[in-house]
Amino acid sequence: MTLRTLARPWIWGFVASALVWATILALSSQGGGQTVSLALSLAPYLVIVGLGQMLVITAGPGNIDVSVAPVISLAGFVAVAATAATGSVAVGVLAGIGTGLAVAAISVLAILGLSIPPIIATLAAGLIASSLTLSLADGFTAVPDEGLRQLLNLRPAGVPVLAVAVAVLTALVVALLSRTTYGRSLLAVGQSRPAAERAGIPVARVLAATYLASGALAGLAGALLAAYIAPSPDLGTRYLLDSVAVVVIGGTLISGGRAVPVGIWGSALFFILLDGLVNLVGWSTAAQNLLKGGLVLFVLFLAGGGTRRDATTSRPRRRPRPATAATAATTTGDNTHG
Amino acid sequence: MTNLVVAAVPPRAQLRRLAPAMVSTIAMFAMVAVCASLQSDVLTVTGLTLILSATVPLVIAAQAQMMLMSVGDIDLGIGNFVGLVTVITATKLVSSPGTGMLFLVGLVAAYALLGALIHLRRVPSLIATLGASFVWLGLGLFVLPTPGGSTPTWLATFGSWAPAGFPAPLLPILVASALVWLLASRGSVGVRVRAFGSNPVALQRAGLSPLAARVVAYGVAGALGVLAGLLLASQTGGGDVSSASSYTLITVAAVILGGGSFRGGNAVPWGVAIGGVTLGLVSVVLSLLDVPSNMQSAVQGAIVLAVLAGRVVVGKVLR
Repeated sequence: MTLRTLARPWIWGFVASALVWATILALSSQGGGQTVSLALSLAPYLVIVGLGQMLVITAGPGNIDVSVAPVISLAGFVAVAATAATGSVAVGVLAGIGTGLAVAAISVLAILGLSIPPIIATLAAGLIASSLTLSLADGFTAVPDEGLRQLLNLRPAGVPVLAVAVAVLTALVVALLSRTTYGRSLLAVGQSRPAAERAGIPVARVLAATYLASGALAGLAGALLAAYIAPSPDLGTRYLLDSVAVVVIGGTLISGGRAVPVGIWGSALFFILLDGLVNLVGWSTAAQNLLKGGLVLFVLFLAGGGTRRDATTSRPRRRPRPATAATAATTTGDNTHG
Repeated sequence: MTNLVVAAVPPRAQLRRLAPAMVSTIAMFAMVAVCASLQSDVLTVTGLTLILSATVPLVIAAQAQMMLMSVGDIDLGIGNFVGLVTVITATKLVSSPGTGMLFLVGLVAAYALLGALIHLRRVPSLIATLGASFVWLGLGLFVLPTPGGSTPTWLATFGSWAPAGFPAPLLPILVASALVWLLASRGSVGVRVRAFGSNPVALQRAGLSPLAARVVAYGVAGALGVLAGLLLASQTGGGDVSSASSYTLITVAAVILGGGSFRGGNAVPWGVAIGGVTLGLVSVVLSLLDVPSNMQSAVQGAIVLAVLAGRVVVGKVLR
């Protein structure tokens, strides 16, 4: 049992964050609880984006959403502007989510309508979003809503309200994946797209829903982040690399078909605590990046054997690789015409 | 009649293979034509030098990306890697050329090592190169926290070299593309690399080492990345680790525009050169059109979508 649990890759995120937490504890006079509380108030944003990215990655080889960063930045501006214009926080957050949906709709049209590989489709949609962001940012004067900021900063008994809300969201995603037709279909598509197609799963609809969900979640994260920090054109920049990294360190298979929503929490806390540790020690951003990259590579190469089991049990199958069938959309499109 | 059809099949198949690059070529010439109609001086040697120079590092970096995509991998660290090379060029290569060279050779070796580790530990290249991109960024910030430095004289001389007969930027583009073409499309090394990309099991059964194929692909990509960084530094006259961060995704787009695919197994150096130039020309066209620079990325995105949509149409017509 213990051995099997250890063999699960998502454990590493929690182990790593516990190690970093212990290091912070040893180095600072700050209470351990306070460190956790602070990390819990920063991690949820990354978890929200990560959940969307996880759904996309689970859809199978080649599926990735590289538009999350520009979507977060754009949604931040849109949400703050909408809140300022209408005076309603709910409208602002909904506008942020709507922005994410709109950008994701471009990606979906390109992926399904034009058979464009997802990385290129989301890249193009993201480029369009980042241009809109820059245009909006020129002479932007609206300020984030104070009420929402206070709500996001609210920490009764040291537990941030947002962390609880995002924990509920994570539980919902877990239920979505294991209990609903959509979730089951998504896993099936990720494991084998041709098999899912032959089984009569509406693959196109599942993919469309997945990218829209990722866009909506990125939009939500942007709306909240803009209220928590402030809207800026590079609000989302770090979230592209971080969202993919937390998903994969969290144990979700990069080749698709297996999603581990809980694992995202472990790796998100790891990333946030690591930032805290580096700030505590007073290292430069250079060292911060070196450490982050080095640790990602270390964890990756260490846990790399995690997929080896899959590879050895099914010898004749090709080793799962991230980009093998990235143009699956193109191939199937071609086949139907050929 | 049947004979005619049979005779027509091979060129048609070839046509279908070349179609993606053809659509991109049309897009590239359309861009140049737009430039020329707005500003007739563009078609002179000086004009072409000016509009092409910005695309040179992008094209070379795209060739590096293509090497990895030909084995079915994706490099999400190439942008920061090129940035790191400019930083080393602007600092170490000026103060002590020997150490600087050693650093650059070490970076190529690091790429090859990354490829070996990705292969041996069976990890996704997407994540490994993502992790490596943090390392390149960190190293670059470590060496040169703020943009600056200067370029070695020989590199600066090359950067400002302006021969009379032809636009200077064409030389590095053509030479690098030809070298990659010789290596990846014509040489036996390229056959192994592409074989690994299309069917690693077959490569292994043929008694060849998949590990070696992957390491070679990564090593060549690293060398091309260094070349791109050197050329970028020769143009900007200094080092900045984040000067090329947009390359990471734009190079992937350039490879796709040039007819490459994520499946691996094919190398399209000439197509990549065309795709890279097309994307690089966007900023030139926009500045000539007086469009605010804010819109640059939106236009790049729209061009990628338009060219790929054009390919879908051409693909259907050719079927």
